[in-house]
Amino acid sequence: MLRRLRVFASLILFAAAACARAQTGGVLHFCLHGEPKTFNPNLVDDEAAENVRYLTGGVLIRLNRQTQVLEPALASSWQVSKDGRKITFQLRKSLYFSDGTPFTSEDVAYTMKSLMDPQLHSPTGDSFRSGEGTVEIQTPTIGTISITFPAPIAGLERLFDQVAIMSAHSPKKEMAVLGPFYVSDYKAGSYVELARNPNYWKHDAQGHALPYLDGIHLDIQRNRDIELLRFERGDLQLINRLDAESYKRLSKENSSAPRNAGTGLDSDFLWFNESPNAPMAESKKSWFRTTEFRRAISAAINRDDISRMVFDGHAKPAYGPISPANHFWFNAAIPAPKYDPQSALKLLGQAGFRFANDELRDKSGNRVEFTLVTNSGNAIREKMASMIQQDLSEIGIKVSVVTLDFPSLLERMTRTFDYDACLLGLVNTDLDPNGQMTVWLSSGENHQWNPSQKTPATPWEAELDKLMHQQATALNDTERKKAFDQAQQIIYEQQPLIYIVNRDVLTAFSPAVHGASPTVLTPPAFWNAEVLQLAASSQQGAER
Amino acid sequence: MSRGTLPPFSVPWKKVMRLFLRRAVWLMAVILAGGLLGATLVRYAPGYGVDERELDPRLSQASVEALRVQHHPNANLLGYYAKYLTNAVRGDLGISESTQRPVSELIRERFPVTAKAVLLGMLSAWSLAFFLAMLGQYFRGWVFEVSSTLLTGFLLALPSTVIALLFVYFRAPVYLAIACVTFPKLFRFIHNLLVQAYEQPHVLAARARGIGPVRIFLRHVLAFASPALFALLGVSLSLAFGAAIPIEALTDSPGIGQLAWFAAINRDLPLVVNLTLLVTLITVAGNSLADYSGHLATRAS
Amino acid sequence: MSSSKSLRLVAGLLLSAIFLLALGANFVAPYSYAKQFRNAPSAAPSAVHLFGTDALGRDEFSRLLFGTRVSLLLAPAAALLSTFIAGILGGLAAFLGGWWERAILASADLLMALPLLFVLLALRATLPLDVAPLISAMATFLILSLLGWPSSLRVVWAAARNIRESDFLLLARSSGSSPLRVIVRQILPSLSPVLAAQFWVTIPVFILAEATLSMLGLGVMEPLPSWGNLLRGLENPSAFQANPWTIAPLILLIIVVFCFQFILPSRGDLD
Repeated sequence: MLRRLRVFASLILFAAAACARAQTGGVLHFCLHGEPKTFNPNLVDDEAAENVRYLTGGVLIRLNRQTQVLEPALASSWQVSKDGRKITFQLRKSLYFSDGTPFTSEDVAYTMKSLMDPQLHSPTGDSFRSGEGTVEIQTPTIGTISITFPAPIAGLERLFDQVAIMSAHSPKKEMAVLGPFYVSDYKAGSYVELARNPNYWKHDAQGHALPYLDGIHLDIQRNRDIELLRFERGDLQLINRLDAESYKRLSKENSSAPRNAGTGLDSDFLWFNESPNAPMAESKKSWFRTTEFRRAISAAINRDDISRMVFDGHAKPAYGPISPANHFWFNAAIPAPKYDPQSALKLLGQAGFRFANDELRDKSGNRVEFTLVTNSGNAIREKMASMIQQDLSEIGIKVSVVTLDFPSLLERMTRTFDYDACLLGLVNTDLDPNGQMTVWLSSGENHQWNPSQKTPATPWEAELDKLMHQQATALNDTERKKAFDQAQQIIYEQQPLIYIVNRDVLTAFSPAVHGASPTVLTPPAFWNAEVLQLAASSQQGAER
Repeated sequence: MSRGTLPPFSVPWKKVMRLFLRRAVWLMAVILAGGLLGATLVRYAPGYGVDERELDPRLSQASVEALRVQHHPNANLLGYYAKYLTNAVRGDLGISESTQRPVSELIRERFPVTAKAVLLGMLSAWSLAFFLAMLGQYFRGWVFEVSSTLLTGFLLALPSTVIALLFVYFRAPVYLAIACVTFPKLFRFIHNLLVQAYEQPHVLAARARGIGPVRIFLRHVLAFASPALFALLGVSLSLAFGAAIPIEALTDSPGIGQLAWFAAINRDLPLVVNLTLLVTLITVAGNSLADYSGHLATRAS
Repeated sequence: MSSSKSLRLVAGLLLSAIFLLALGANFVAPYSYAKQFRNAPSAAPSAVHLFGTDALGRDEFSRLLFGTRVSLLLAPAAALLSTFIAGILGGLAAFLGGWWERAILASADLLMALPLLFVLLALRATLPLDVAPLISAMATFLILSLLGWPSSLRVVWAAARNIRESDFLLLARSSGSSPLRVIVRQILPSLSPVLAAQFWVTIPVFILAEATLSMLGLGVMEPLPSWGNLLRGLENPSAFQANPWTIAPLILLIIVVFCFQFILPSRGDLD
């Protein structure tokens, strides 16, 4: 009865809206997958907080998630000095924070100062740290600001996409924002309510103030199954990231809801523990340090099967650290991955391994077997591990799969080095290879197979160090690209990380959402939240 | 007990108070030991002091170092616990390591959610169990016996995680899941108790004298069963609370259970210590309520 | 009552049939539990795959048989051990009374309230990574029984306290028998209905706990199946829609627990 009434009411509303035809307003509902740890944009280091920052924060320069090109935002123009140390912004005039405080270069200066505080230890701030010394900030006028860094930073301007400007004077502190929405309510563990920022600077082509929506209701929901069920019931109108299984299920029910944005930047890979401190048998260590061994493993993994069975075809086989989705930095010269157990056995033969009676043995006759650890509670990775286990058994290698909870796994990876091989993934939010410096530098903490080396353990790691430094200091993009292409080549030849797949970015929208255009960059589904619209008929439903 | 009400017995108040005090001291010791044991378990669990953020490639070396140092203040466990207790007496429960928010705030936000779910769950389970058990008294026979055994047997065979998953699937409220877990045990107990009560000679005699069923129930049956029911209340409290934790974690209900799971995954020492104390407190309180009423019952009879 | 007798007979036959099938999994199962039929993932039931296949194309029927072997042999064994521990400790508490009673009850309360997850994590850290699957499964169930007794303890203790004052116990006590002897000879047998009920109530708990443990790197490791592992398939509703047979382990679990309920003498749980 109640439902019928509701339908009737929404019909009337729909008719009324159809007359006016102004499709603005309404509250969009979707989920955050964790508790935002902070609303201070400078401290953001988790995905939920990053999403809130994206929706509320105003930035000087915005990376267009679709075209992958930088666009002016709060800054109408900018200029980077020849030596790559200084950047000067011209700011837009007469802009106001969500609480009405005027926006000036002082706010930018305040934001940068607190961001560069050495005690802050935030990922956003750390990406600006190029060398020893202090950052100088000058504000000649209220509309101009120049920032000078102690050392050149390659691709400096793109980093400002992550810097949400805070007000130096507003009594509301970081809750006064320049983005399309502001946080109007928050209940820990339950939801974050965003309301339309009436002072947002952007207008559409017809001169209507953006955003179109009245607000966004973000439910905090860790459980993806619950999220999917609620989407199916119409409580939510958008899913930012969907797994392949749910994508398939939604496609069956309503072919228009799920949307595939294409191959993404994230990758899943496995690596062998090559740390000299690892408490394992010397024979094992020597296998893992053999290039042919790693290449053979890579060739023996059937990535097409993994893509088809684990991801329902929504993943592409990967061989390198840069996904083809990254238009500029991807090295197209690297051959596509190929499943070839015969060539794997050949490579192993060259390195002195012998394959007989379905068992692979090394020179001294030891059976080749190792454990593959991965994080527990991740069904996708567990399936991948099972498939790799089966694939490697074809070339006589016995793999035991062990799932560990994340802190235990991390302790083994970074403290005790007590593991053989590990299967994990990297969430890549950054297009620029500078974002992966600590992965490829032999001194890096994230150089997982053998982290924090004093001097490079192998000649190719030394070469990799050189190339990574080259790409970080070269000031034009062609030179940077040349160096990084070479780095990708070495990574391909040595396979220190054996890349498995790049997952597709899968999203879902209810038919009521207009203007959706998902992309592979984060946030894939709501990167253009300011122009998203809700069909009038669904607005009532959404406000239940 | 021929008249069916509790026989008057003089309460030795002094003795009861002393007993009560001794009991309270003992409980306090148990709870504090629980907190210390909880702290020890987290502190020496693998992965303590390791931060997921260390894997963020954007962080500089210095920031990773800073993350690692952050956990060092808790290296001395006994010192930490002593400091925690002195602060706790002043009302300061510490700061959660993973969320960087005061623990008291986190608990204040979440406790009402769990308390409501547990109370509503107990209420539904009790009313249903009592209602069905009463029904059983008026529809005696194998049909009722078999069907109730099947129903409760089925619910008992379903593990609580599966119940939670079903509730996720049907989007039923958390308290019903808690009720589902506690109901079969309550029902079986109450059912047996009522059968016993109605078989008491004085109840049989009252029936034979033609006293009305309502009066028999109120004056004779309830009087016989109430100490045991009171004991059951305590047990069911700790039972329901114990069930709430996995159910909340699985259904993503923003209560204590979810918080506990979160604390465990993040090796959040201050949070785990506080939650252990809270859970121990509730378990021990529920069980002593049961013991105490059991004690009274044996005295009364 | 002949009807209850025949019920008992049916339950017994059913249980033995399931046990036999599980023991003979090697001969009955059409395929190996690990074999991945990569051309037929999540297949519906057919003549080739009786219960269909899972997401990796493994034969569900074979996995169910092998999983039954692991869970059905180990979970009742663990339940037996934990019930036995609860029986001994509950009996001791009731028989000795005083401080002993209080300490035993308090330690049970503590064990129930403590975050035992960390005990399991620490245990995983001390074991080497490459333990044989069967050993790790057995270790898991052993731990479960060593940690699982407190939930039964109060029930057993309450029942034991009721018979503490009974005549034959007073007799035994006055004749100077040792407490342990009295417990094993006198108390445990008269507690048997309560213990039996506790036994079958703990079986499903342990079966599911094993699944949770395998998420921590303990428990039964891939590709070896167990009911717990198989039940995790239920977490994903779409898998269930694709192949309703993923619910088979749950049905089997319920049947087994039911059978235990009917076979063993029981009169309620808490009395």
